[in-house]
Amino acid sequence: MTKLQQKILTFIRSGTGDFAELAMEVFAFQREHNPTYRTFCDRRPPVNSWQEIPAVPTSAFKDFSIACFPVSAAVAEFHTSGTTAETAGKHYFKTLELYETAIKPNFTAHLLPDAARLPVLALTPSPADAPHSSLAHMLGVVAGHDCEFFVERDTLLLERLTQRLCEMQWASQPVMLLGTAFAFVHLFDHLGKTRFELPEGSRAMETGGFKGRSREVTKPELYQLFTHHLGIPAQRIVNEYGMTELSTQFYDATMRLDQQSDCKDIPAWARVLVINPNTGEESATGERGLIRIFDLANLWSAMCIQTEDLGIAHADGTFEVLGRIAGAEVRGCSLNTESLRKQ
Amino acid sequence: MNVVDAIAETAQNWLAPESRWRKRAIAEAPEQTGFSPEMINEAVTLIFSALTHEALSKFIVPADAPRKITHILSGNVPAPGIGSICRGLLLGAENWVKCSSRDPVFPALFVESLREVNTELAERVIVKQWPREDVEQTKTALTGANAVIAYGDDDSIASLRALTPVTTKFFGYGHKISFAIIGEEALADRELPALAAFDASVYDQQGCMSPHAFFVEGDANAFAEKLAIAMEEFQQRVPRGKLSIKEAALSARVREIHEFRGAQIWTGKPPYPWTVIYDAQPTFTPSCLNRTVFIKPMHTLNSMQAWADTISTIGIAPWNAEMQKLASNLAERICPIGQMQRPPFTSN
Repeated sequence: MTKLQQKILTFIRSGTGDFAELAMEVFAFQREHNPTYRTFCDRRPPVNSWQEIPAVPTSAFKDFSIACFPVSAAVAEFHTSGTTAETAGKHYFKTLELYETAIKPNFTAHLLPDAARLPVLALTPSPADAPHSSLAHMLGVVAGHDCEFFVERDTLLLERLTQRLCEMQWASQPVMLLGTAFAFVHLFDHLGKTRFELPEGSRAMETGGFKGRSREVTKPELYQLFTHHLGIPAQRIVNEYGMTELSTQFYDATMRLDQQSDCKDIPAWARVLVINPNTGEESATGERGLIRIFDLANLWSAMCIQTEDLGIAHADGTFEVLGRIAGAEVRGCSLNTESLRKQ
Repeated sequence: MNVVDAIAETAQNWLAPESRWRKRAIAEAPEQTGFSPEMINEAVTLIFSALTHEALSKFIVPADAPRKITHILSGNVPAPGIGSICRGLLLGAENWVKCSSRDPVFPALFVESLREVNTELAERVIVKQWPREDVEQTKTALTGANAVIAYGDDDSIASLRALTPVTTKFFGYGHKISFAIIGEEALADRELPALAAFDASVYDQQGCMSPHAFFVEGDANAFAEKLAIAMEEFQQRVPRGKLSIKEAALSARVREIHEFRGAQIWTGKPPYPWTVIYDAQPTFTPSCLNRTVFIKPMHTLNSMQAWADTISTIGIAPWNAEMQKLASNLAERICPIGQMQRPPFTSN
């Protein structure tokens, strides 16, 4: 099967290839090597095109081993950040080669289109401290050696981070900050009245995510805080949309366009469909629906993933993420699944 | 002024053939409630057939009844709000009613219909609506009363309780779930699937008396199949309301994950107005509602012990001593299947 993996690696490295053909090959491979998936597919109509490939719901990663190899042979496993009430989903990796290859060109195109070389301050644990965190691993891959991690034992090291920001400002050294939206809000709360003016060229990547937190901040509010506290303008802040169950990430087109954008680019080896939950068919461009992702780099797990996020597909080939359905309105006095998740 | 007579007469006016109150509710309520006109029609029958002279007469007025009651209504189902106003009137209280933005129609229309029968009595109810964010207005309403009756999700109840003066009596009706149990001998009952489908489909399953699951002894799969047919028949007669994109997505998620698990699923044609899922898992997960029900084998009934504090109603078939005993420790209320949406007037 290294042949198929090789084809995908070539596709990712070159940025060109026949997506439809490879997707059908990967589908055939996954159907053959994952009995759970095969049983699932066997109960559904035959697949004639990549768009019809049955999607694995993200929550299936909690209940099943979504893998096309014996998971005892996994070189890494990343876990979802489930609350205590639910078990975490696990994504097993036979090799990290596809994953790591898919990360770099995409990250560079969206965070370093100017080929800048910047020191990285990551508001996450280091990959060594958090071996099951896909985010920490990803940042480890993109940030290279010149990277400091500011979370230790689940604690954001606010003093140390503040001091480092101060040093960077005085040394006129542009810097790249990476972290979850929640970690940044935590930092801004800590900074209070303190404001930095980080040197021009400084930038930030935030991954969204307020799951299970007491306080939520909207994207425009968050970006205002970035500008207010760090002097980073909105056209240098990029939202990353990724998930443990995938190997490929999606970034706002902001730095490519040199203006703040909520539209996410789709790399050549991936596809995004927005599905109308009332019909199971693709939503019209500009209409809301559930985001379904096809990621060739997920060769050893599941290429087609049904997320629990709502989104919109745009005519220019980008898409927008509107948030998780978990926040759906709970009406009145009947308990439903969603109110329980909050408990 | 005889309050019982006035309410019973008002109810009769709603139930009369060609009732203009019913017509107005059917015309005005669907937009905000999201229910289909047919569902509103069904709701009118359910609500007002419960307000009989006999049922209202059974309500006992305590000696220390509050003089002024503030009712905070929720928007999921209209029935509890109308019941609450009637009980307030029977207590002889003045009633301030805050209706939900989802259902401003039923409370106001009810008071209007009452006014026609007895102006003086209708004067004892003031219905208003303001946004939940207007805390000052809410505070005023809560401070002016001797008692507060609040319906809604647990968060809303908690914040209303916090805003209510400590000296005021507070009755909060928060999150609840309901389910049903079916003994093997009831499976031969040909009426049962339609009764079960009625309980599960009315108010599009939004009410706290709507069953999330049926625990079945014996051939649960066969019952699921019959229930599916009955759900479709009910849908033909009383269509489900239109879902928001989030509600539709939540329903889609439930179908997808169970499909992946290999569960048996029956569902109506898109937009999937009802779904029956045979779920043999030992644990119980509440439904996403909007007419999605789980059929579970009876031996998993123990899983409901974990939910004991949140159970409203258990529907039972057959209605015999053995089955009643099985359920009575778990719920506030037990009743035959088909009656789950018809609580006695005196409750809540």
